[in-house]
Amino acid sequence: MVRFKNRYVLCEVVSEDPRCRQCIEDRAVGLAVRDAIGRVHGDYGLACCSISFTVKYLNAYTGTVLLRCRKDSYRLLCSALPFVRQLESRNQRYPCFLNTLHVGGTIRTCQKFLIQYNRRQLLMLLQNCTNEEERRCIQKSLLSCSLTEEQSQSGDEEDDDGTETD
Amino acid sequence: KGQNRGERGRGRGGWQGGCQSVSEEMPKYITVSTFAQARAAEINAMLKAVAQKSSNSLVFQTLPRHMRRRAMSHNIKRLPRRLQEVARKEAEKAVHQKKEQSKTKCRKARRRHINLVAEFNRRQRKNIWLETHIWHAKRFHMVKKWGYCLGNSPTEKSYRACYRAMTEHCLLQDLSYYCCLELTGRENELLKQLARICSIDTGLTFEEACCLSGRFEGSLNLYRADHYPEDMLGPVTFLWKPRDGSENRQLWIWVHPALKQDILRELKAIFQCSEPEEIYIPEPVATSIQEEKRMDVVLTLGKKRKKEDKEGEKAVPVKKIIGDGTRDPFQSYSWISQTTGIVISDKTMEILRYRLIGPLSHSVLTETLKAASLQTEMADSETELNNWWVENCKDSEKVSLHQRQSAIFELLEGISSPSEMPPGTILGLTVGDPRVNLPKKKTKAVPDFEKYQGRDMHQSWSCAQWKPLSDHTDDPDNDKVRQLYLEGVPVDCAHSFIWDQDICKNVTENKISEQDLNHMRAQLLVPGSHLDLGPCESKIPILLVQQPGKMAGEDRPGWGSGWDIYLPKGWGMAFWIPFIYRGVRVGGLQEALKHSEYQRTPHTPNDFPDSQAGMQFAKELEATLLEKFKRRPPAKRANYVKLGTLSPFICPWGQLTKNWEVRMKASGEFVPSSPHRERCATEGHSFCYPKEEVVKEASPKTGEAEETMEITSSEGALKTEDVTGTQDFGERDETMTTNGFIVLRSEKLLMQLSAWCYPTAGRDRRVRLISRLGQKDMTEDIFLPILMSYPRALVWVNLSLLRKGNPELHAMICIPTEDDLLHLSKDKLFCGPQEPKHRDIFKHKVQKLKEEKKKKKKKENMKALEGDPPSVPDKETTEEHEDLILGLWSDALPDVTSHCSRTLLGYVTRGDFSLAAGCGEALGFVSLTGLLYMLHKQPADKKGLVLLRTPASLQYRFARLNIEV
Repeated sequence: MVRFKNRYVLCEVVSEDPRCRQCIEDRAVGLAVRDAIGRVHGDYGLACCSISFTVKYLNAYTGTVLLRCRKDSYRLLCSALPFVRQLESRNQRYPCFLNTLHVGGTIRTCQKFLIQYNRRQLLMLLQNCTNEEERRCIQKSLLSCSLTEEQSQSGDEEDDDGTETD
Repeated sequence: KGQNRGERGRGRGGWQGGCQSVSEEMPKYITVSTFAQARAAEINAMLKAVAQKSSNSLVFQTLPRHMRRRAMSHNIKRLPRRLQEVARKEAEKAVHQKKEQSKTKCRKARRRHINLVAEFNRRQRKNIWLETHIWHAKRFHMVKKWGYCLGNSPTEKSYRACYRAMTEHCLLQDLSYYCCLELTGRENELLKQLARICSIDTGLTFEEACCLSGRFEGSLNLYRADHYPEDMLGPVTFLWKPRDGSENRQLWIWVHPALKQDILRELKAIFQCSEPEEIYIPEPVATSIQEEKRMDVVLTLGKKRKKEDKEGEKAVPVKKIIGDGTRDPFQSYSWISQTTGIVISDKTMEILRYRLIGPLSHSVLTETLKAASLQTEMADSETELNNWWVENCKDSEKVSLHQRQSAIFELLEGISSPSEMPPGTILGLTVGDPRVNLPKKKTKAVPDFEKYQGRDMHQSWSCAQWKPLSDHTDDPDNDKVRQLYLEGVPVDCAHSFIWDQDICKNVTENKISEQDLNHMRAQLLVPGSHLDLGPCESKIPILLVQQPGKMAGEDRPGWGSGWDIYLPKGWGMAFWIPFIYRGVRVGGLQEALKHSEYQRTPHTPNDFPDSQAGMQFAKELEATLLEKFKRRPPAKRANYVKLGTLSPFICPWGQLTKNWEVRMKASGEFVPSSPHRERCATEGHSFCYPKEEVVKEASPKTGEAEETMEITSSEGALKTEDVTGTQDFGERDETMTTNGFIVLRSEKLLMQLSAWCYPTAGRDRRVRLISRLGQKDMTEDIFLPILMSYPRALVWVNLSLLRKGNPELHAMICIPTEDDLLHLSKDKLFCGPQEPKHRDIFKHKVQKLKEEKKKKKKKENMKALEGDPPSVPDKETTEEHEDLILGLWSDALPDVTSHCSRTLLGYVTRGDFSLAAGCGEALGFVSLTGLLYMLHKQPADKKGLVLLRTPASLQYRFARLNIEV
């Protein structure tokens, strides 16, 4: 079986301004990335990247974005990502940048990576927390996600045949 | 926020729908707790997404290759333990698709003869197996129909080969599934009642002199007693036993199994045979003797059977079922009338019947069968083998009869085609065991050219029809052949012992088994030499009946003629294999259908829409076609509403005839002037007297009106007549509640119609025809009475396409407009007009319904979530609308005749490219009223031209309509 091979780029929107989260929506992110590619690589690069380019997943609370493009042109995409400087939506624009976390061959590997990454973040937060209330809060949320993990343990374990990542 | 989380928490959809819009009340600052909670929620969503199996592959397919093992799909324990649970669930899901492993025994045990026979007997209990079942099951697609297991068509490619066999050589078919009903009683008693269920109008009756003598087999259509022309029961063939001096006559009525119950019930009713005769129990004595014999054979062959050793003497080998396996042995299958002493017995599966079709079928017969040798001494005084024959041979009169019969049988070889014999000729015979002279190799039986050199031996039908008699040399054999050809088989030769039940039973029970025969063959001194059984050879009484083939129409006379051979039960395979060894080809139900299609004869039960079985068949066909239609995705189906096909799966005969009747009345096209009227009324009654009686009985009003008409003067007659006419129609509506329509089978009328269907001008063909048939011209005063007397009748017609086109099942027969005919005469390559596309008026309805359903489902889901049970009336409404299918007309049918741009005349019941005619041919029914209307309107040189349109196409094709009588 022959299929089109894609690359999925998992990135994080980092912004100083908390209000920026308002404009994290798939249209705005997509436009900003396209714009950056156009600036950096010109029309040819934009056309290459925009074959099957989409925002597959987006979470405004955590600022996670999953982008998809063809395997042939993912280098162009990755190299243009640092040039995204702002997001614009509803006539508001906020400065921000994209932090590439992971590049994967399937959505699944990206999801797995995201789980690990988030868990690591929580642990880091736990180590760095200052007061008792925060500590409790983080512990609670950690426990809440580990609880679901136990429920779906069998399912989680079955996926140790990780598809190769880039 | 909680709401957002809830949204995300919906499993897979949660993460895909993660592209949420940001709500306005988004917090403007980061706190640790929200941050942590957001991460935790995402982890949850991701975990759920990852845990879900992405594709619909099986569990072991998700394993990397190096972890796969060979039998993983069968044996769950081969999987890693963590996956076993999931795999078990999957296996349970797929278990109903898998074939059940029911057998506890090993294959060797299952295939052991005793167990095999027991298993076969068990499987025969539900559906009757023919004696050739096993042979067929290995080579045919089997179908379960009418309570039998029948071969549908060969698994090999043989469509054309079977046709060739029919035309040039010989096609064999096992017709043992036809049922034989035996009537015994005094001749005049039988005839008196039988006259009620058939009519002289349709051709033969049971009283036909040549059939009554037992010389010929006849075929006719049965109706409910005194109901002709309504309430058709079905077509039958019948044979009388030749007179043998005794008072009682025997009559065999052969019926199709689909019609059997109806006909049997009617026969029982008219003869008042309700009393079951004393219960006939197959004596266990005879069978046990045979079993013992078989045991002996087994024991002498060496004690191989462990079973017998184990279970001792008590183990009784299972006996093979011969005859009807589904019968209850304690139920009676014959009925006697108290008053007249007439006995009706159901002899289903008691007599086997094979059909040989093709010009060389009698060379196959003469090569396979050898007349029995005379025998005056018993072979073995203990057995009953052949004792009837020995007794027979002592009577010199019977011996001479047998010699005459066998002489005639040998002469058959000299006749080039069975169509040369008079139709339905019966020849009785007693033959020796056909297994004895089995050829070593399969050979093709061809007639002996040397022996009858004077005659030109043609193998094709076209030449076989006419042969100058003076051509023959004066060889004495040829003289005899000529005599046979001219005079047919004499009456006394039709006698056969197969009519005698006791002899049949004797023959069946004393058959030498295949095993014994092979054993004897093995002990021959010279291997492969002829086995001479001497006095032990069984003698089997058989009956040969000629099948006339194509009799109606002008082309291919005698096509498809052949011989039917009737055998006592139990001898099926013994005759079947020798036939196969003579190079015949075997056909199934499909081949029989094609045979009748090329012969242009109606096939049972497809082409009898007015009988119960025909209606049942049509309903079943509709169900299967609809099922097939529904299986396709809606975008890939034909949209029959757009194509203007109202009912693609069933022919609405009742609606068609009714619409034509209404149409005629409304248009007033055929309302004649007053002097015509009177005559037509009287003639109309004379045309169909039984009908008129029915009407009279039903309506005293009509009678009164007629009386008044007689009194009043001719000028005033018009009005009253009109009234009676309408009343007539009204009454008929009441009388014809059962079917609503009849099929015209009166030979006289059909002849008339057939003559009218030919073009009058042009090649001046019709003048010849009229002079030949002695028919009248088509004028108003002749066809009006027909119209009046048969307002709702169908006519069986055949159509052959002029140019391109291949008619299909349920194709529509339409009337061409004048423009079409004009176009046709101008343009030689004109294929036919196109139907404009219709609008699908049901599309919106279907879509709306779909949406509603979706909504309802959603609602129900919500309710289920909330914990409410779904309300009952909701479901009912959804089920009501379930039958709305995109592409099918879902309302009650509108006027079927005028729905399309060309007026509808009738429907095709069978149509295909005919290999025999070399063009597309179709058989079907048209409305009589419509046909007369069309013929009346059409110009003289274009008479009988119609348009054909298949249900899934917009293209009309020209075809010529014919009625063959």
